[in-house]
Amino acid sequence: MIPLLPKIALGAFLAVLMAVVGVSTYVYLGTRQSKVAAPAQLPTAAQPSPNAFRLPGTMILEQDGALFSLSAGRFHQLTGRAGWMQPSFTPGGNVLAVKQTGYYSDVWMLNRFGKKIRQLTNNAAPPRSYDTGDNHWAFYPRMTADGRTIFLSYDSPKFGYEVDLSIWAMPAGGNLRQGKVWTDEYDSPGYTGGDLQPIPVPGGVMFTRYDRTAEGGIISQVWFTSRAGTFGRAVTTPDEDCREPSLSPDGHSLAMICTYQKQVSNLVIAQYSNGRITGRQAVITNQLVAQPTWAPDGSGIAYLAPALAAAPFQLWFIPRAAYVKPSPSPAPSASAGASPVASPSPVPSPSPLVIKPIQITVNNGFDAVSTIAWAN
Amino acid sequence: MAAAAGGLSYFLPAAYTAFQATGQTVDFPSPSPSSLLFSPSPSASASAAPVGAFTVLLLGSDDDSKFQGGNLLTQSMILVRIVPSTKSVTMLSIPRDLWAPLASGGMGKMDWAYSYGGARGAIATVQADFGVHINDYIWIGLAGLIRVIDAIGGIDVVTSNPVLDDYYPQDINTKSPWGYARIAVLPGPQHLNGTQALQYVRSRHNDLQSDFGRSRRQQQVLLAIREKSHQLSPEDIPPLAQALSGEVKTSISLTRVPALVALATSFDNPDAIHQIVLASPYTHGGAPDGSLWPVWGAILPLVHQYFP
Repeated sequence: MIPLLPKIALGAFLAVLMAVVGVSTYVYLGTRQSKVAAPAQLPTAAQPSPNAFRLPGTMILEQDGALFSLSAGRFHQLTGRAGWMQPSFTPGGNVLAVKQTGYYSDVWMLNRFGKKIRQLTNNAAPPRSYDTGDNHWAFYPRMTADGRTIFLSYDSPKFGYEVDLSIWAMPAGGNLRQGKVWTDEYDSPGYTGGDLQPIPVPGGVMFTRYDRTAEGGIISQVWFTSRAGTFGRAVTTPDEDCREPSLSPDGHSLAMICTYQKQVSNLVIAQYSNGRITGRQAVITNQLVAQPTWAPDGSGIAYLAPALAAAPFQLWFIPRAAYVKPSPSPAPSASAGASPVASPSPVPSPSPLVIKPIQITVNNGFDAVSTIAWAN
Repeated sequence: MAAAAGGLSYFLPAAYTAFQATGQTVDFPSPSPSSLLFSPSPSASASAAPVGAFTVLLLGSDDDSKFQGGNLLTQSMILVRIVPSTKSVTMLSIPRDLWAPLASGGMGKMDWAYSYGGARGAIATVQADFGVHINDYIWIGLAGLIRVIDAIGGIDVVTSNPVLDDYYPQDINTKSPWGYARIAVLPGPQHLNGTQALQYVRSRHNDLQSDFGRSRRQQQVLLAIREKSHQLSPEDIPPLAQALSGEVKTSISLTRVPALVALATSFDNPDAIHQIVLASPYTHGGAPDGSLWPVWGAILPLVHQYFP
């Protein structure tokens, strides 16, 4: 016989134990949820590790409508979460960026600390307009090297339901009314979205055109045009389905994303000269790659890609050594009577060094349709 | 026992929601005689059908505040044929504007079938017109799609082109559902949340192919959801069920759901996924009320090739 008091104590203990085990099981199961729906971490939340790989210069990226700079391995938030996107550095060290609201987007100039300097476009509909179509979009602003002109994608002209972006150029000190349309939407069949992401290059501008195939599908091609109003020429083929061109600091290489009309993307590099490219080289083929951007010192290419399948996009860097082959060592002179067919070498040659991309961030979620700005 | 109780309380809300959403009783009509009429060799097709293959009708509706009394249209109707033995999937988008006989009587646009007859009406119409046998259906509303994609943490998609729409319906979570919004889904590889994904699959005004272009995008997003489901664990079911509460209905019983999820995640060959959109020459314009005439002579052989 157990005395009454110890019996009550035992009962209470068992009740508490059951409650603890039950709650613990509930909590444990909750912790076993996959982290797929976990919100992206703020870039500034991560403490930089002293041993972490550091990118040269200063980079600006966008996450969730806010701009962040990355310099010396540390992120700083430049703007609030207010629809900021698509930053690019001006030659003078300021930043062009787009601020998108629900109905329109405008180009702003900020200083490199995120402070507003000037609003460059005014794309809101007139105050008494009830037609949503009276608003306009401006995207992907980029200033020329001489600092005099800003290229951008702008949805004008448009007609009714047809909204296609054209490449426009406006004076850096002026406004869009003084601007000039460079690529006309009528050049393409229309209803494709038009022309995007201009990058000024010596002698003209490169951009991505969305065009329609004979079968009715839509593909992207990198184009070059040298003058406003001229038709220009395609730099890539429709089958390659390339977009997001980025010119190297020395002007000799072009990086771009090619999808080959599939739900994958590849980082492709080609030699560039006078609006033409040769010798494509696929550098990344196993990731969903976006926004390739050359390091200002030419040491490699940064890009955005998910670390896991179907996950938010992280910042990656591929060093130059991964895609620039070292100069071949002098070939041994053929000895007399040597077979033209290479004989097996008794000493195995060292396997080539494989340089892998470096993942810079882990738990962030950068906007992969927003450009990366990068300067010294 | 306490652990079991804790586990039960964890999964119980999900089970309750799942019981409500799944196993919807629908009196599936038998395939119409048209399947025998149009099929080149019905007996051969039946015998060639892989064991365990089944067909699901996916229905997507504008369940926004414009509609009262449950008379919803189906903006999206996709027939999905799943063949476990070959791990192949075929998705066929039925144009919502297709002018065809309705099971409720008379002729009309395809998207009226659900409005007039609910899931049974939509199934009966598709079975009769296309000569296929539908094993199950899944219906999802607009808010449901947003919630599903958000609950799985978004999806990765290579959006085909800039999807710009100056007159996109602003009809979710609003007091004035007849208003318009502007949307700009920019192109390229990217991570979409639920709202962005809905904009991508729903917009049609700036697409030369209108509903056909939209159908291609819908199939693309379905495949992206399937890709993301690889990363889910059983413990994710409660938050998912909570997200889906009231926004999904299906005839698939709860007991079959785990096996189907496992099946869906085991399909890893993109070349074994066939995507079909019934654009020209399968349809052409000029039918009443701005709808499309079907070219049955072209449609039915195609359908019977993939949906034997």
